[in-house]
Amino acid sequence: MSITDLTSMGEPQTEQRKEINERLRRLQDEISDYCYQCAKCTSGCEAHKLLELEPHKIVALLKRGLIDEMINSEIIWTCMSCFKCRERCPQKVAPVEILFALKNLAVASGKQIPGNYTAMLQSVLSIGLLQDVKSITTKDNKTKTRTDLGLPEISKPADPTKFQMMLSKIAVEKV
Amino acid sequence: MDNKIGVFVCHCGINIASTVNVKDLVDYAKTLDGVAVSKDYKYMCSDVGANLIKDSIKKNKLDGVVIACCSPRMHEHTFRGVVEAGGINAFNLEIANIREQCSWVHEDKYRATEKAKALVCGAVAKAKLLEPLEPSKIKVNPTALVIGGGIAGIQSALDLAEEGHKVYLVEKSPTIGGRMAQLDKTFPTLDCSSCILTPKMMEVANHSNVELLTYSEVTGVEGSIGNYTVKVNKKARYVDLDKCTGCGDCVEACRLKGRIISEFDEGLGKRSAVYIPFPQAVPLKCTIDKDTCLMLTRGKCGTGPLCVEACDAGAIDFKQKDEEVELNVGAIVVATGYDVLDPSAMHEYGYGRSDDVITTLGMERLINSSGPTSGEILRPSNGEKPKSITYILCVGSRDETECTWCCRIGCMSALKHVYLLKEKLGDDVEINVCYTDIRSFGKGYEEFYRKIRGMKTNFFRGRPSEVRNAGDHMTIDIFDTTTNKLFEIKTDLVVLVPALVPRADSDEFARILRISQSADGFYLEAHPKLRPMDTFTGGTFIAGCCQGPKDIQDSVAQASGAAARAANILSKKELESEPLISCVDEDLCSGCSTCIAICPYNAIELDTEKDGKSHAKVNEALCMGCGACVVSCPSGAMQQKGFKDKQIKPMIEETVKK
Amino acid sequence: MKYALYPGCVMPTEQYAYEMSIREVMPKLDVELVDLKGFSCCGEPIKSVNQMLTLTLSARNLAIAEKEGLDIFAPCPICHLALSECKRILDADPAMNERVNKFLEDEGLKYSGTSDIVSTIDLIHDKIGIEKIKKLVKKPLKDLKVATHNGCHLIRPSEIGRPDDSENPQKMDKILKAVGANPLDYPEKLDCCGGLLTANLPEAALTKTGQKLKGVQDQGFDAFIDTCPWCHRQYDSKQTKAGETVAAKLDVPVLYLTQILGLSFGISKDKLGLDLNLSPVEKLAVVGGK
Ligand code: SF4
Ligand code: SF4
Ligand code: SF4
Ligand code: SF4
Repeated sequence: MSITDLTSMGEPQTEQRKEINERLRRLQDEISDYCYQCAKCTSGCEAHKLLELEPHKIVALLKRGLIDEMINSEIIWTCMSCFKCRERCPQKVAPVEILFALKNLAVASGKQIPGNYTAMLQSVLSIGLLQDVKSITTKDNKTKTRTDLGLPEISKPADPTKFQMMLSKIAVEKV
Repeated sequence: MDNKIGVFVCHCGINIASTVNVKDLVDYAKTLDGVAVSKDYKYMCSDVGANLIKDSIKKNKLDGVVIACCSPRMHEHTFRGVVEAGGINAFNLEIANIREQCSWVHEDKYRATEKAKALVCGAVAKAKLLEPLEPSKIKVNPTALVIGGGIAGIQSALDLAEEGHKVYLVEKSPTIGGRMAQLDKTFPTLDCSSCILTPKMMEVANHSNVELLTYSEVTGVEGSIGNYTVKVNKKARYVDLDKCTGCGDCVEACRLKGRIISEFDEGLGKRSAVYIPFPQAVPLKCTIDKDTCLMLTRGKCGTGPLCVEACDAGAIDFKQKDEEVELNVGAIVVATGYDVLDPSAMHEYGYGRSDDVITTLGMERLINSSGPTSGEILRPSNGEKPKSITYILCVGSRDETECTWCCRIGCMSALKHVYLLKEKLGDDVEINVCYTDIRSFGKGYEEFYRKIRGMKTNFFRGRPSEVRNAGDHMTIDIFDTTTNKLFEIKTDLVVLVPALVPRADSDEFARILRISQSADGFYLEAHPKLRPMDTFTGGTFIAGCCQGPKDIQDSVAQASGAAARAANILSKKELESEPLISCVDEDLCSGCSTCIAICPYNAIELDTEKDGKSHAKVNEALCMGCGACVVSCPSGAMQQKGFKDKQIKPMIEETVKK
Repeated sequence: MKYALYPGCVMPTEQYAYEMSIREVMPKLDVELVDLKGFSCCGEPIKSVNQMLTLTLSARNLAIAEKEGLDIFAPCPICHLALSECKRILDADPAMNERVNKFLEDEGLKYSGTSDIVSTIDLIHDKIGIEKIKKLVKKPLKDLKVATHNGCHLIRPSEIGRPDDSENPQKMDKILKAVGANPLDYPEKLDCCGGLLTANLPEAALTKTGQKLKGVQDQGFDAFIDTCPWCHRQYDSKQTKAGETVAAKLDVPVLYLTQILGLSFGISKDKLGLDLNLSPVEKLAVVGGK
């Protein structure tokens, strides 16, 4: 027998749901199934008022296995990782971590990565850091570098090739 | 000569028979040495089964019986009766548990059957060596002790007193009445709480069979069912109970009047250092709080204690000391109640950060006409009438980070408050209720909930994440799952509905009483369905919220139940004690006293004979048969009847061999 | 006391004032800082892309510190969370530890869980202690009404073990009290700066920043103190823009905790990088008194 979401004709993806739950159990100790939809997470969600993210609904959809619906939606990328939902959930469910899992899944299944993430990723791959050292402007419009400010040069990975090799190996890994 | 044994295998419907091959097992039993007969039946515990056993005992002249069936915890008692009716000693019975320990936990039929054979084989080996045992008689002290003077304790005490038993009712605080005395009205009938409670308090206080020990604490319990010795510390009140008339002149005169936080008013009101918790207190006597009174903390109260001056009866007595009394009782009912979770544990809800965040019990005191505001609903911060009151349910309840359980009264008390507040303030006040689920499961509760739904109340189905101060009011964001919208509530009084938790001292008290607690810390009943008022300690019973959160209805019902269970014991002149207790082989005992130190029931003494040799002696009335001494004895002199080494060893050997 | 300074990405590439003030203040508090060689990003900002990457990058940095035999001082709360979570997961899950170590092998590194991690807050409050701070104060910040901002990652999720209480963090307030300032509670205290949204929704990120800072300004605070380079970038560097999102002209001095400590210790404002703060820090007497 089966369950169908008649608004989208979507069907539960039991396997993926299991995979996400296993990941959550391994990393965060708790799974989504215990959620009783009190919506405390959404009441306090930093992204909700501004961007309409509803963490309790994310949890509910995961429980129902409607995962495609979520990874195809921009909404999972609106979480600001404030961790309030995880901190305050009375059932120790962590919507924020579910969102991380969904975003990872979206990336792994070849969905477009929004915004600057690709640039950040590339920078980490090439120099080990999110961005390279910048020279900055003071309030009175002077440009300063680390050296100008008497700061030591920063130490990047010694062997960039090995470092990059390692990262490209992981990039295709799942948790 | 070993006993001649009969083996009886029960199918337990299909519980056993669907996994264990009963026929095979019966045939196997017949091959065992010493077995004269082996039979099976669908339900051995039925009349037919019992007759089958009785007849077989007579016909085959058996001296011992093995029954392969469910756990001895279920039917051992029944089968002892059957065996005795068959004409042999009730203790020449051995149960092989082939249900819980075999059929229920295994799937492979062949291997389950083999295991059942091993269990039966071992049981037969032991049964052959069993000796007849006679229970010893214990005299029962017909007096009862009830600990806790809340509604549950009062009910138990009254029921026992009415049955004709003398009852000591011990209460820790200065008055009986408990939590119920703090309430204004009760749900769902809206009876005035003190109107229904006060008569009970008077009745129990005036009952000729009841001796009230208020402001007293149980500090030690010794002995066992039928004969407990209980130590009670009567704390000094610094007021002579015989002289004090309860006029309250000292309360008015006290130098600290209006300066001490009143626990009875949940911190929302103030009292004096000498006080009567509430006008209907029983006994209506003053108590001086030794933690705040100037005389008692500093040895000096201004130019002289004003209370002494004010008291015409000369009742104030700073020299009073705590007094220890010893009570001898046959049974104990524990009704020590609950605490309320301190909501400051959930800092996000602002309790302690704003004076206008209170608890349900606090609101009870505000509503109550003898409360700190004489029944006016006023904001603690500024004494003004609130325009909006918001309830948050399940604070710390059903919460894996605080209390995992449901408080069972929170929803209904919030609904009751809505009614009372509407009655007092009319529609001028906006009332918001933020709930996760409304649990209205009792008789008349759902109907009450319907009534409240019709009373212009804003129900939000969701849970706020936090309460924020915003100048002269507070704001609460709540996502309401019925409308799928986030609402901002501006409100000026927030009522938290906190979890009910075990009493702060419940761990320590459990140790004193030698009773168990469940994982949540509440006292554990012997069986959740069939023995809900019993503990695992014979003669000690539990009632009310000390066993778990309950409403008044359930507390009173359980209290009457516990009283009836206690009366069961107290109404007997003597009790038969389980003969499965320890005994000493005096020839082997070296008198080393190891067992004496080990025994948790102080049941062993050292007996010195004429020739100066000494050996351990077991007091049969005190021994609970726990077996601690048996394993501790270095000489093997201490043995447990029915479980002697010589009986158990062959059992193990045979089981393992098979 | 000796710690390996793990700078993370944002502090050493643009938030120089934080680094300068740390390098000034810590030696005064008898903390010796050793620069961590060959470090990399902690991975937290790209956890959305692939958490395995985050775990391995964090483990890599911890492994480098282990090699030095030092505990890590991570001034950035986001790094601190990433490293702490990594430690928590790998210490409890040998299989995962092994998997991660397989990746680290190439660089000759191995995570074994011997190094601890401290943040600015617990380093100062728990390890150094308030008493020592008090002794060093030369210019008490008398009556300075300050709002503290811990940053989400510093206090949540408590399950991982964070430097301060998740719902009622007080350590930063206590440190500031020790130098004479007057930290006060405010309703928005635990709110997020939005900073991590910068990657894909920079406007929304700024709105979060603006909303919180506007609350702080409306309540009449003299200064806003933080310890997170991400938050600081929002509150200080982008303050004007953040104000625009909430139609307010924001004018709140925003300082790193280590900057304000330095000021109270009498360290010159140049050494503390105060001319790099873009918010109106000169409004404060301790800064403005040229
Ligand atoms: S995830 Fe937690 S907070 Fe959110 S709805 Fe479920 S139980 Fe409530
Ligand atoms: S972590 Fe994300 S989902 Fe959770 S409350 Fe914060 S913004 Fe909302
Ligand atoms: S001695 Fe003083 S403080 Fe104590 S109860 Fe009497 S009047 Fe009050
Ligand atoms: S009774 Fe109601 S308020 Fe109390 S925990 Fe249960 S559901 Fe929550």
